[in-house]
Amino acid sequence: MLAACSLFFLTIILGAASRAKPTVFIKKLKNKHYQLIVERKPYIVKGVCYSPIPIGGNHEYDWWSDTSKPWMIDGKMMQAMGVNTIRLYQTHENTEEVKTVIRDLYQNFGIRTILGDWLGFWEYPCPFYGDKRFQDKVKASVLDMVKNYKDEPGVLFWILGNENNYSCLGAVNPWSSDEIDKEPDPQKQKAMKSEVYYSFINELSREIHKIDPNHPVAMGNGELIGLDAANKYCQDVDIVACIIYRGKTFGNLFRSLRMTFDKPILLAEFGADAYDAYLKKEDQNMQAFFLESQWRQIYENLANNKEGEGNCIGGTMFEWSDEWWKHAPDNPDSWKAQDTESNWTNGSYYFDIKAESNKNMNEEWFGLVALSQEQEFGMNKRIPRKAYYVVREFWKNPTLEVKKKVKK
Amino acid sequence: MKKLFLTMAALFFMMPVCASAEGQAPVVVEKPKEFVVYVDKNSRDNHYIPSGWMGDTGDIKMADQCAENPHGGATAIKFVYSAKRSQGQGWVGVFWQNPPNNWGNKKGGFDLTGMTKLTFWARGAKGGEVIQKFMVGGIKGMYPDSAEIELGPVELTDTWQQYTINLAGKDLSTISGGFSWTTTADLNPEGATFYLDDIKFEADPAMKPEGKKRESMPFYIYADRSTSKNHFIPSGYMGDYGDIKYEGSSKDNPYLGDTCIKINYSGKRVQGAGWAGIFWQNPANNWGNVDAGYDLSKATKVTFWARGEKGGERIEEFKVGGLMGEFSDSDNATIGPVILNKDWTQYTIDLKGKDMSYIFGGFCWSANSDNNPEGATFYLDEIKYE
Repeated sequence: MLAACSLFFLTIILGAASRAKPTVFIKKLKNKHYQLIVERKPYIVKGVCYSPIPIGGNHEYDWWSDTSKPWMIDGKMMQAMGVNTIRLYQTHENTEEVKTVIRDLYQNFGIRTILGDWLGFWEYPCPFYGDKRFQDKVKASVLDMVKNYKDEPGVLFWILGNENNYSCLGAVNPWSSDEIDKEPDPQKQKAMKSEVYYSFINELSREIHKIDPNHPVAMGNGELIGLDAANKYCQDVDIVACIIYRGKTFGNLFRSLRMTFDKPILLAEFGADAYDAYLKKEDQNMQAFFLESQWRQIYENLANNKEGEGNCIGGTMFEWSDEWWKHAPDNPDSWKAQDTESNWTNGSYYFDIKAESNKNMNEEWFGLVALSQEQEFGMNKRIPRKAYYVVREFWKNPTLEVKKKVKK
Repeated sequence: MKKLFLTMAALFFMMPVCASAEGQAPVVVEKPKEFVVYVDKNSRDNHYIPSGWMGDTGDIKMADQCAENPHGGATAIKFVYSAKRSQGQGWVGVFWQNPPNNWGNKKGGFDLTGMTKLTFWARGAKGGEVIQKFMVGGIKGMYPDSAEIELGPVELTDTWQQYTINLAGKDLSTISGGFSWTTTADLNPEGATFYLDDIKFEADPAMKPEGKKRESMPFYIYADRSTSKNHFIPSGYMGDYGDIKYEGSSKDNPYLGDTCIKINYSGKRVQGAGWAGIFWQNPANNWGNVDAGYDLSKATKVTFWARGEKGGERIEEFKVGGLMGEFSDSDNATIGPVILNKDWTQYTIDLKGKDMSYIFGGFCWSANSDNNPEGATFYLDEIKYE
């Protein structure tokens, strides 16, 4: 009898344990809206993309082992602003250093970390997503990341890739396979690549879920391109993490996503630069104007807002601090100066679209904080831009109505 | 005497009081019922000056005291448009401005609050002349007009017809560009001679504000060279724009009607971009700086016919929508890459599930020199939203 009772209660306990909610998960509400739940509470991602490269360094700079611990200074400033999440594009080979960063930010400032993997996107000569060996290599890297950090309380979720879907169009880092090359119709080639790519992402998601039921898996995606294919082949991802540069409005992004690939969306990269390429001078008002407008739209589309689609879970702005190497990555001399040249054009950022050749996007000026040559705490002094304060105030009091007083 | 004096004095002091009282009484000022732009040459009622010539200004001749069969009075305004593309623009227009030549760089204009429509009379010399649009307001610059309202395209007849631009509900508090017309060489390949008369604003209480018009289908981008059915202007040259030759009235085996579009892309990389393309925009050269999207919500697809001169020409993308600026297209849809056949082939861009409620980037193609090292000559016809 006692044994039977014990078995009965054990079954209940084990059953309850097996039904325990994950630490972080996506909840679909009755009204079909989506919420990110973290430790049983709704969580709005108020985040920044984080890459604290100092003046003079480039993307290869090992900031993880920087003894001045830039994330501690940044974390304090982020906390004061209201940031609750950072996004890291890729982890580092030294797992202890990565854990230190995650723990320092979480334990000291309550800031959680989204960890990502490039999925071999920048490998030379190109990412062969159709090649089994390449897939296995990428898969090993991703699963290592998950295994290494899944038990870190500061981890929020995983992002697979960034804008890797553009490679299926042949626009960036083009790749192919023998089978695809045999197809004469380029439209069908594109569809075949999308099937290969999104099927691979789906497989990765399933593998991650097996070893880590506690964190959702997001898929990085440039714009909404290719998501019709994702809808067919990639249903196991939990979140779409979109990279969107559409100026003051995201337009019909949220509705369009709902109709093509009904998943919650994280605005994983968005923002505005703070340099007017037409007037050739810094313009903090311009950046603040765009960012406030973008956050307003994000909030309009959070769950339980009748006016929006209810499928947005927040965003990670690009980016926390300026990076002075980005305009000319191959020229170390230029990393010591903040370049005012522009690499690309985007009419959505219309204030300076009349710049020469319409090149108005200044890669080295996207920071919420500018970097100074002056050293403070053993690193480049951080100088908050106007956007830092404007977004801070918006988060404190998120008013969705557009202010009558035009700032710019 | 004393009594009379007192009475006179009282009257004297009362007079201003009476006058003052009379001044305080409600004064009924009759609001003007019309405001004339042009009725006759030298009429004292005329306002605004047709000083703002645009585009191929060398293609325009104007006679503002033309006595050839005016609609009213003794004169009308005659325009002769040669369509010779004197300045290489392919389009022309004239703004009636106040003060003359005011492109928004000076304070000026009139407060036309209360006016609800602009009416004018127009006729073509032969009939069939196409005016892309007539417009009220629309001056930009430091001192912009408070409104921009357009009508068109309009295909004129050889007899006088009255046209109306509905201004009800519009903010007419500052209008420096009282009236304007624009048209293109594509719409009038042989040029156009036309007449305007009796242009005036009117306060007609019966006019009601127009709601946003949902365009009916089919909605043509290109049907034939000179038809008022066409919408959007192929003005948005992109990338190696020097590599592109556009001919909107090719008679080289059109799919339907008299003409088709012929595009020659040399692939020479004149601007060093390695690619090129054209966006059809509304109005011309609108990259998102003008609030002028059509509501094409009724459309479920865009269809068009295309062929390559040799066959095998590769177009990277055909696209609708997707222009972004201060104003942005509400959605976009693409097909491509497309390898063209030598014979006419119909292509479809699916719009199901798309938000086409605001589109000023009506159609676009782009190609690159990597895939067309020898360039590409191709033809388009019957481009329409359905």
